[in-house]
Amino acid sequence: MAEKKHGSDAIVKRGDLSKRVGVEQIRKRGVNVEHLIELLIDAAGAEFTTYYYYTLLRMNLAGKEDYKEICEDARLEDRAHFELITPRIYELGGQLPADIREFADRAGCPDAFLPGYSGVKEKGVKTVQKIQEGGYKAAEILEVLLEAERCAVRTWNEVCDITFGKDPRTYDMASRILQEEIEHEAWFIELLSMERDGVSRPSGHFRRGDPGDAPYSKNRGFYNP
Amino acid sequence: MVNEEELILAAAFREGLDLPSMCLQGWCLTCAGRVVGPGCWDQSAARRYYELDREAGFILLCTARPCSDLTIQTHQRRQMRDYRLGNGLPAPRG
Repeated sequence: MAEKKHGSDAIVKRGDLSKRVGVEQIRKRGVNVEHLIELLIDAAGAEFTTYYYYTLLRMNLAGKEDYKEICEDARLEDRAHFELITPRIYELGGQLPADIREFADRAGCPDAFLPGYSGVKEKGVKTVQKIQEGGYKAAEILEVLLEAERCAVRTWNEVCDITFGKDPRTYDMASRILQEEIEHEAWFIELLSMERDGVSRPSGHFRRGDPGDAPYSKNRGFYNP
Repeated sequence: MVNEEELILAAAFREGLDLPSMCLQGWCLTCAGRVVGPGCWDQSAARRYYELDREAGFILLCTARPCSDLTIQTHQRRQMRDYRLGNGLPAPRG
């Protein structure tokens, strides 16, 4: 069969597996794909480390069962964000670091350490042991949670900014994640405001259906029994 | 004008300078600047800052307080990231 010339060969030739039309199209629309990939890996790193650190923070909210449940929602939803965005990194031609230490080190947001823990190894461990003997104050943990969410809100806003009108697939994912991060921030403002300051600042949200329901990033129905 | 109790980036925002920033906790390098010439700054509020950063004049504006007059070149994220990677130190790349 005679080979027909085809206009689509101009950027990605027929049978060429080294490029993706889905990537070249967004590049043509002005997205710096390499930069976007790096930003997404940093953001995925932050979601992953946050999931880990929220596990520790939740464990230390002993006796504050209502706070633990809210922390659990945020914890599981951050994991969902990691799961949502990771496939997009590979689709764009990127990949996660082979070493989890490198992945954690390049996270775009700081480690959400237990209050008082500095990350300095021996001294830090002793500090945590000392604090744990006296017990953590819920307000201090809520503040760590709040600042972690605020960093996530800034991060996903940035991703939305650089993909808006150019890369609908990444934008859609980032927008879903951003919406949940904004809700998380509102939850922790509400809890910290009452716990620390005795002031009511409602998030205005109803409960999740199941723990970590992630209605936006898992495309689930909102809780409305 | 930045007083000694004030974070440099906060002062920049107050004066209407739209400088880049992201984590605002001295971690992500987005707000990185480089001090030109001599100067003194307190970076103790940063979540991750190395002595090597200081030796090279890199400053994270979001968590830096001045203790002398400073001349700062802004928009140094990429340069600081390259410097960190060249020295085997962690550096978010985005």
